[in-house]
Amino acid sequence: MKKLIKNFASAAALSAVALCTTISAVHAADWPNDNIRLVVPYSAGGTTDLISRKVADLMQNELGNIVVENRPGAGSTVATGQLARGGRGADHTILMASPGHAIGPAIYPGLRFNPVEDFKFVKKVITIPNVMVVPANSPYNSLEEFVEAAKNKEVTFSSPGTGSSVHMSGELFKNATTTQMVHVPFRGSGEALPALLAGDVDVSFDNMPTVLPHIQSGKLKALAVTTPKRSPFLPDVPTVSEAGEQYGLKGFNTSAWFGIVAHKSLPDEATTKLIDALSNVMEGKDFNEFLPRFGAVAGTESGDEFRTFISSEVGKWAEVAKKANIKR
Amino acid sequence: MNKLDADIGEVEERYYGRLNPNSILGLITAALATFFLSYLVPNYIEEPGHLSNPMLSPRFMPVVAGWLVLTLSFAMAIEGFFRPPKHTKAEKLHIGIPKSRWILMLAACSIYMFLFEQLGAIVCGVLACFSLFAASHLREIWVYILGLAFPIIISLLFIHLLNVPLPAGMIWE
Amino acid sequence: MDNFSEVLNLFLSIDNFIAIAAGVLVGVIVGAIPGLTATMAVALALPFTFSLEPVTAILLLVGIYKGGMYGGSITAILIRTPGSPAAACTLLDGYPLAQQGNAKKALKTALYSSCVADLISNIALIFFAGYLAKIALNFGPPEYFWLICFSLTIIVSVSGDSVIKGLIAASLGIIVSTIGLDAVYGSQRLTFDSYDLMDRVSFIPLLIGLFAIPEVFEFYTSKIVPHVRSAVSGASLSFSEFKRCLKSIIRGSLIGVVIGAIPGTGATAAAFISYSEAKRNSPRKDKFGKGEVEGVAASEAGNNGVAGATLIPLLSLGIPGDVITAIILGAFMIHGLTPGPVLFQENLTMVYALFCGILVSSAVLVVVGNTAIRYFSLIAEIPKSILLPIVLMFCVYGAYAVNNSTFDIGLMLLFGLLGFIFNRAGIASAPFLIGFILGPMFEDNLRRTFLISKGDPSIFFRGPITWLFVSLTIASLAFAIYRYWQSRRATYPSLKKTRCIISISFYRSSPYAPCVQGEGGSHSLLNLNFKGPKHEKRFHL
Repeated sequence: MKKLIKNFASAAALSAVALCTTISAVHAADWPNDNIRLVVPYSAGGTTDLISRKVADLMQNELGNIVVENRPGAGSTVATGQLARGGRGADHTILMASPGHAIGPAIYPGLRFNPVEDFKFVKKVITIPNVMVVPANSPYNSLEEFVEAAKNKEVTFSSPGTGSSVHMSGELFKNATTTQMVHVPFRGSGEALPALLAGDVDVSFDNMPTVLPHIQSGKLKALAVTTPKRSPFLPDVPTVSEAGEQYGLKGFNTSAWFGIVAHKSLPDEATTKLIDALSNVMEGKDFNEFLPRFGAVAGTESGDEFRTFISSEVGKWAEVAKKANIKR
Repeated sequence: MNKLDADIGEVEERYYGRLNPNSILGLITAALATFFLSYLVPNYIEEPGHLSNPMLSPRFMPVVAGWLVLTLSFAMAIEGFFRPPKHTKAEKLHIGIPKSRWILMLAACSIYMFLFEQLGAIVCGVLACFSLFAASHLREIWVYILGLAFPIIISLLFIHLLNVPLPAGMIWE
Repeated sequence: MDNFSEVLNLFLSIDNFIAIAAGVLVGVIVGAIPGLTATMAVALALPFTFSLEPVTAILLLVGIYKGGMYGGSITAILIRTPGSPAAACTLLDGYPLAQQGNAKKALKTALYSSCVADLISNIALIFFAGYLAKIALNFGPPEYFWLICFSLTIIVSVSGDSVIKGLIAASLGIIVSTIGLDAVYGSQRLTFDSYDLMDRVSFIPLLIGLFAIPEVFEFYTSKIVPHVRSAVSGASLSFSEFKRCLKSIIRGSLIGVVIGAIPGTGATAAAFISYSEAKRNSPRKDKFGKGEVEGVAASEAGNNGVAGATLIPLLSLGIPGDVITAIILGAFMIHGLTPGPVLFQENLTMVYALFCGILVSSAVLVVVGNTAIRYFSLIAEIPKSILLPIVLMFCVYGAYAVNNSTFDIGLMLLFGLLGFIFNRAGIASAPFLIGFILGPMFEDNLRRTFLISKGDPSIFFRGPITWLFVSLTIASLAFAIYRYWQSRRATYPSLKKTRCIISISFYRSSPYAPCVQGEGGSHSLLNLNFKGPKHEKRFHL
């Protein structure tokens, strides 16, 4: 008899819990009714982590307590896959997506999630352009000179790792211009940068904050920026798209971007709330003081625009990875 | 250290015969290296279609290291065969261990390995500590209180101070 | 002079001193906890620095870094659990010392050599940053390649009694290090389609598994022996012992400074190279690995010598040499500062204020370290039957914390089993670790060199730095072979007059007599001996 009561009690408790979760999912108007978890798919201390923590800090005023959690692993696909699966607490979990979100599926075989369908896209927060740089002693002074030279001989480009946005930008460039570029992978920009500065590699498409000080001090020459618009930090440097129009580079667009995504079950009202909160943050003085320190510009896409952006990225990188024979 | 010696008793310094640990170990590693080179490398390391240089191949390092292990293992086996090692004092410590001792240790490890997410960090810590204390035949109550308190305090520290989300246990939810 | 007072103004604030003290303290504690590294502590502290003044923020992080470097050695010595990767070298001699009841001596040696190395490193940072940064820039893939080759020769000196076994362990380490996605082609290597293995085998679980877990396994598969009181009150470090080690400490610090100034090599390599050099030059080389104070001093000097020097490429070039300096770079950027030549031009006062703080941190380390020793060394008093279950728990939590994954717990226990088998088979674990760390660097730089030279091998000898390391590598190998022959001659008197590399000697003796080895053990590469009923033919190769 005792056992029966016990069983009954536990069943009741279980269903109560289940009921609560359903209720919380339905009453999106009260969202958030719990701490929000911001998952960072990279380890603590990296650029993604830094940006996430800053953004979380600023968003707290709008949305209440935000807990930042690092879940690194296999590019960023471990954390992304976990969010895609959903489960308990998924309605209060948001993820700081980065280029890895779209590149990962192209590189890691057999991922069990869809980078577009399984998510709700909130807002792109930051875009950091990549810059096509050559060492100061390099014979190339413009994108044209470089491409002409690279058509006739092998040149090398460096990256802080296979599958990084820096690497993929290089591969995309190589595909578009049909030049003979060879990828030299390093581990982190700490190893990649000296090789570039010393002229051991010919070119790199590195992130703006990594190379900007060296461009300013004259150790690197900037040939082009990879975004469709010129960067306010290098106003004299043309974009790849404009400088390389005759080589089929028109529309060339790569960048390191960071944006918030959530599980697909996130109610629309909650998404709107998140977008509003982020927009407020991004208009604030704090955020706009923070941006230039990373050579970044604020993201513009939100909601469906952001989704379109991601799905085009996913398509683009899948093709590049296939051509470069990275996914095997 | 004297007490330890007394416990073990006199150790006669004997040599192993031809069938000695070094030779056996050498042959086992050699077999493993052969398996690695002939099965694992070709099947689990993909090689890109064309390579400008064999040293660029993903298989280069594993194969070099594999061959090193293979040759060195043979060398070890041969050396052991012709120059067998001595029995050591420590070996006496390994004989006649009550089965319960290492079985309880295996139990503790299995709890951590297989039930960490299900039971949660705290419960696993307590269970494992208890079984390890029991393996050493500890009878004092305070030790078990310690075994209860430590996992709780430490996991709370990890979770709240160090921001490490140790699992709370799926079955308690 | 005007400048000087400005610097003092900026530096002499109570906040800065609190930041340094708190940083070092947190670093020592976190560094001492198995599985939690200085890297994690620095990363966790980063958000707290957003609201601080730039100098205070950086000093806090640098304090944690330095504290963590030392803190790793505490548990390495006391419970054979390296709190940080670099401390794996410290335990080679530190743990035997503790087991002999000299825990306090080992801890003090570690502390004082850390502080001396730290000071030397800081001085190098302040006065020679410019020169050392130039070296860093001249280090391309071929230079790295030879540096790694030279570093690989240290396997011989940490192999314990058998060089063959050491080399096997190192090769196994290399094999394990190749697991994951290939760096150049992105193809899968021995991942068996597991996501947990694609980012290579996690380092921290491997480290703890290899060194700490075998102690647990060993304890529960051995007879219960009474707890040996390691007597915290036992002998402390005497001045004469410290003086004896001083040469090794200074040598180690300089090695640390050079390695630290070159991005991407790291404290672990520095510690092992310093240890190996100390062993090579010490009159007591036979005692190394069995509880020699000088071994502890050398490895700690090597790894702490790195701490100040990694700031050289960071501050003068804006290049982070390791993960921690990458995080510190992030802290600079958050505060709107850009490390590099520009920093020295525009924020010179701040740079000097930082230097003051970094110098103070060495002194703070002495105080905090001494306090830490007093409390941490109580661990040596706890019987193993109570201590080990708690150590195991810490290790499990720590391994989980690295990637928040239970897979890493299994991995740690698996490497624990490997370490246990190594122990029972008389194979040293340190070479495995070195193979695991240096193997990928060797491979990466070999491939990078071929990629950047477009296949031309002459690049391997392109300049004075490559030649320097080529000759160091050859010298180191030659020395190892010479030492090996020396030790063999000592063991086998009949070999005294042989000059050739391969000798064949015949002599009559009892079947096993020549095998009795001295304390140091002979480093036998290969011995063939054919035994007859009356006489014996031995081939020593």
